[in-house]
Amino acid sequence: MSLPISYSVRNVRARLRRTSLTIAVIALAVVASAVFLALISSLQRTLVSTGSPANLVVLRKGSDNDGSSMLTLEAYQAIRFFDGIARNAEGQPIVSPEMVVQPTVRAVSGTRENVLARGVEPMALVVHDRVRIVAGRMFRPSSGEAVLGAGTVGRYQGARLGEELAFGRRRWRVVGIMEAAGSSFESEVWVDARELASDANRPFPYSGIRLRVAAGADRDALVRRIEDDPRYALEAKPETDYYAEQAKSSRSLYVLLVVLAVPVGIAAGLGAANTMFAAVQARTVEIGTLRALGFSRATILRAFLLESFGVAMVGFAVGAVGTLALAAGIGAVLGDIGFTAATFTTNLVALRVGAGDLAAAFLFAAAIGIIGGLLPAWRAARLRPVEALRKA
Amino acid sequence: MPEPLIALRDVSRVYRRGADDVHALEHVSLTIAGGLFAALMGPSGSGKSTLLNLLSGIDRPSGGDVVVAGKRLNDLSEDALARWRSRHVGLIFQFYNLIPVLSALENVELPLLLTALDRRERLARARLALDVVGLGARAAHAPAELSGGEQQRVAIARAIVTDPDLIIADEPTGDLDARNADQILRLLLELSHELQKTVVMVTHDPRASEWVDIVFHLEKGVLKETYAGGAGKARAPATGGPP
Ligand SMILES: Nc1ncnc2c1ncn2[C@@H]1O[C@H](COP(=O)(O)OP(=O)(O)O)[C@@H](O)[C@H]1O
Ligand SMILES: [Mg+2]
Repeated sequence: MSLPISYSVRNVRARLRRTSLTIAVIALAVVASAVFLALISSLQRTLVSTGSPANLVVLRKGSDNDGSSMLTLEAYQAIRFFDGIARNAEGQPIVSPEMVVQPTVRAVSGTRENVLARGVEPMALVVHDRVRIVAGRMFRPSSGEAVLGAGTVGRYQGARLGEELAFGRRRWRVVGIMEAAGSSFESEVWVDARELASDANRPFPYSGIRLRVAAGADRDALVRRIEDDPRYALEAKPETDYYAEQAKSSRSLYVLLVVLAVPVGIAAGLGAANTMFAAVQARTVEIGTLRALGFSRATILRAFLLESFGVAMVGFAVGAVGTLALAAGIGAVLGDIGFTAATFTTNLVALRVGAGDLAAAFLFAAAIGIIGGLLPAWRAARLRPVEALRKA
Repeated sequence: MPEPLIALRDVSRVYRRGADDVHALEHVSLTIAGGLFAALMGPSGSGKSTLLNLLSGIDRPSGGDVVVAGKRLNDLSEDALARWRSRHVGLIFQFYNLIPVLSALENVELPLLLTALDRRERLARARLALDVVGLGARAAHAPAELSGGEQQRVAIARAIVTDPDLIIADEPTGDLDARNADQILRLLLELSHELQKTVVMVTHDPRASEWVDIVFHLEKGVLKETYAGGAGKARAPATGGPP
């Protein structure tokens, strides 16, 4: 048996006020790390949820995204009739040739952002079956019309139904708004593929192809057939893999997270150490008494570590509430957050703080408390009872 | 003649303070029989607290032997001493040294946390000890809600709750008014005379010699004088003084 946990808990409670600065700094570390983690995981969630497992992405060999790929009309015409591709009710292959460019668009705030403009044909809505037109209608070919992802509405100048959005060399009339279950299609602008290619001065009409694999078909065989065709140097992969790779590139954000979190964490750790040293100082006689009564050094060490951990947990609780409030506030005031890290185009991400983000921030706070408390607790445990009791 | 509970043989304690040493105790020898109420007296800085610390095993002598209840404390390791203290010694301090965040009852329970007793038994014993000092009704109070005299009674309850052989009190009445001081002295006397505890107390209070069985008088680290106190229960002759 040793000192009860309530001893440490009550000591934390007894000096909450004096510890408030330290608690605030730990809370700050929690907010900083949790919000940033939430941004990264929200971005990854958005990207990963964009892919459909039934779809294949076909790009020029060596291209890791639509934007850097090119594909001839001839290749599209050939691939369309490969075996294993799903067909619609009219017997047409469910294949969507697409042209992707990344023009800059002026935001309402006046800054310029790269947006992903996807030139498509009507089949796009069949391949990307989670994309739904929720207002207005689909654009008509060759008429300078555009359909906007819901995330872009109100973010860019002219990005409203019935208005005109300027990018490339012309203005596009907005005739429809689309939603796609929070995926990154909601950050895109869809226009007619040929119109986009000619506006962007691209020699080929398409960047790549998205296609639906027929139910029960051998997906791997289809992939091999596309990749092994000697006429076109192409590569095909499941759409889910494609977006998972895009999400991977957002891992570079972790470097930023570390750069941000380390100094705040160190400051918080020093704060924790500081208040714990003060506590040991103030309670020297108490420690001497406990040791004189027969409590071991290990017991004292544990009690003070636990106390430091407790202070960190109060900081975590404050920080967690702050994080959730901040995320809600950002959502309400700013709406989606524009991310340009993964694909160079702006991904509009709804910030959602997940349990995993808070769990990581919890571990961070716990580490701050325990590491910060180590030295003071060690000093407390090392106090010699005779000397400590003389401080009375 | 029965084994004395406490036997100090040629005990010295030197504190190293920078370049010069402080000889807090020099060649002190004394014995105290079990069940006695003994007082250590002498001017400030004469080594009384140092001597108490050696008796209770909080500190170790620089030379000589300290034997308490048949155990030579010099031989014990720090941890072994701590365990020994928790079983055999009850400690009372001038400023009570209660733990502020614990209630009176929890303070008294504290030493029992080092035993194998379960929680129910611990609380039962702590309640009993509080009843002994007349504070059963204040069990739930925090130390800050109690008067000085009451806090010292809680401290006495904490000292006796493990049923130790030896109770050590360093100026237990030093911070109390005369009325409360008398109450504490009476309690200590009862512990000694009715419960057969050996009580060794440091005091500056000249009236205290009337309450105790035996008085040891220290001066500048040397045991100058040993004489019977007013309680006159000295069953075994005290021996001491420098050779
Ligand atoms: N831990 C210590 N370090 C250095 N000197 C000490 C220490 N404890 C006591 N002393 C010195 O030893 C002498 C005796 O002290 P103490 O036993 O506390 O006397 P008393 O209790 O009789 O007033 C004093 O001179 C005191 O300053
Ligand atoms: Mg003293």
